[in-house]
Amino acid sequence: MKIIDRPRVGVPAEQVTSTIAFNRIRVGMLLLRLRALIALIVLIIVFSFLSPSYLTAGNLIVMTRHVAINAILAIGQTFVILTGGIDLSVGSIAGITGMISGGLLDQGLALPIFGVVVFFSVPVVIAIGLLVGIVFGGVNGLAITRFRVAPFIATLGMLYVARGLAELRSNGGTFPNLAGRSGLGNTGFEFIGVDSVLGIPVGIWLMVLFGVVAALIAARTPFGRRVYAVGGNARAAVLSGIRVNRIKLAVYMISGFCAAMAGLILTSELGAAYPDTATTYELNAIAAAVLGGTSLSGGKGTIVGTIIGAFVIGFLSDGLVLVGVSTFWQLVVKGAVIVLAVVLDQAQERLQARITLR
Amino acid sequence: MPAKHNRIHWREAMNGFGRDRRSWRALAATCMLAFALFACGTSSTTTGGSAKKLIVIITPSPDNVFFKAEQDAAQAKAQAMGYDTLVLSHDDDPTKQSQEFDTAISRKAAAIVLDNAGADASIAAVQKAKDAGIPSFLIDREINKTGVAAAQIVSNNYQGATLGGQQFAKLMNQSGNYAELLGKPTDTNAGIRSQGYHSILDQYPGMKMVAQQSANWDQTQALNIVQTILQAHPDIKGIIAGNDTMALGAYAALKGANKTNVIVTGFDGSPDVVASILQSGIKATVLQPAAAIAEQAVVQADAYIKNGSTGKPEKQSLDCVLVTPDNASKVNNFTFSG
Repeated sequence: MKIIDRPRVGVPAEQVTSTIAFNRIRVGMLLLRLRALIALIVLIIVFSFLSPSYLTAGNLIVMTRHVAINAILAIGQTFVILTGGIDLSVGSIAGITGMISGGLLDQGLALPIFGVVVFFSVPVVIAIGLLVGIVFGGVNGLAITRFRVAPFIATLGMLYVARGLAELRSNGGTFPNLAGRSGLGNTGFEFIGVDSVLGIPVGIWLMVLFGVVAALIAARTPFGRRVYAVGGNARAAVLSGIRVNRIKLAVYMISGFCAAMAGLILTSELGAAYPDTATTYELNAIAAAVLGGTSLSGGKGTIVGTIIGAFVIGFLSDGLVLVGVSTFWQLVVKGAVIVLAVVLDQAQERLQARITLR
Repeated sequence: MPAKHNRIHWREAMNGFGRDRRSWRALAATCMLAFALFACGTSSTTTGGSAKKLIVIITPSPDNVFFKAEQDAAQAKAQAMGYDTLVLSHDDDPTKQSQEFDTAISRKAAAIVLDNAGADASIAAVQKAKDAGIPSFLIDREINKTGVAAAQIVSNNYQGATLGGQQFAKLMNQSGNYAELLGKPTDTNAGIRSQGYHSILDQYPGMKMVAQQSANWDQTQALNIVQTILQAHPDIKGIIAGNDTMALGAYAALKGANKTNVIVTGFDGSPDVVASILQSGIKATVLQPAAAIAEQAVVQADAYIKNGSTGKPEKQSLDCVLVTPDNASKVNNFTFSG
């Protein structure tokens, strides 16, 4: 509704009144709305010409597998951004989750009081890892809702704290052996990162699962509608009886949970846990959400859009590697694409304003 | 008025928190969880206020076991020789490194042992310490200026890379397609190693490099890049990596693709790769005497503190050793006992 408040100046009268121009605007609007999908298709076409191995089943699976990590992080991030917040700590939470789970598999949990070392089975280790993510996300949420710390600051703090704890967990070292020992009954961690089901890696299945569940939650449940309401107008949300703090706490826990899942997949795939895992991945997650049309001011965006955004980033970076472009150019191109996405986002808002004015 | 306003505001905030038992419970649960999970973590501390002289040890992030071994060896040696130690890491950020030099200067360190954050970007910091009367002993990586550091002790990266290159060529039977994983572009050793590899590999017309990418010394990046390279070049016969963490990432990618017959070689001689060599995973690596170099630096720092001179030339290099399944069992934590 904000859009109506925009001043009418700057909208040429002849365009507003002309039906042909209006239709053009509608087509332009549609193209802009689908920009992430169009970008993805253009990317695939361009890279198919540049490298014959780009559009093969094998490469698509490899690229989607890389996308899955960022997409899962970005799904959690989208819930946070929808409420008007931001979560800078997801990369670090993925890192600490990997370290804690890796440590439990490699060395077990030492209980000096009882003089024993406990080894957990893989499902339990994964559950602990996911719980760790929820707890870290919950601490973010508490800092933001109870102590009124701005989300940017609270999660920036957590970015450092969680990374530091990841380093402390192993005193800076790597847990190299996550295969487990059959005598201890903790083998099978490679399932979530390395193994495939029906020819598709489990990580991709998890992305699909997270995507479907998250999209349903966002679009079809009362909780989802409240998330949009909080981000659209927090004051109106409070006045309409939504417990805003509870919603905010929940989205940071969701984000932590998603980060933990991504950390577990990444660690499993690598077969080793090291404290620097997923450094700066939060930026990929935010970029994916923004590319997919999520507005950083909250209240606007979709899960499907975010996932397409993650595909654009992943398919672009892997394409550049495949073609053999230097690391430096890869960074330049990636950055330019993200800014271009926001430029188009603004263009879409302007067009939307014209249509609404009519 | 403002004071009163502030007081009420604060009290309200506290009331809000104190009444809410859930907040405290959540906080307490978090603390307990943290204790349970980190109880086994240890941290090194320095004793302040003693009469002992201080040696500051600055290295890249100990995430890479190589730098961890360096830190540990230097610290152990310095403490054994009666020094206090302060261990810092610059995470390959020259700005952070410069700030750590300021710390060392303000703590009136007797010497600095440094594995630097850039051959050119580190000169100013080392000069700054020299001007403050603190000698720097460089290990592992050189800087592009002489006469600033008291000593620059490095492993002979070029010699090591030629060893690695020769072994890689031998394993490949001097023919076939291969890929190279480069280190961080800003690190001199990344370039030197690549040159060393190519001084050998380029002599064989049958060997063709089909892909060359930087994975920034990083395990995950190496994994992702190799997965992609395998798509473009499924016929690849070998991957030569600029260090061991990248070799491990490459091997994880090959394992995932059921292509463990592809030859992987690394550089560093880290325990994880040595273990992999013993299980016939990764085929070879080049051991850098990291621990020996770090200890050398401390010994020479001690000599310099006591006599005003190390008695050695500034630039010193220690040769690397090729590690294969035949001698891997003799390598332990960056030390070769053969």
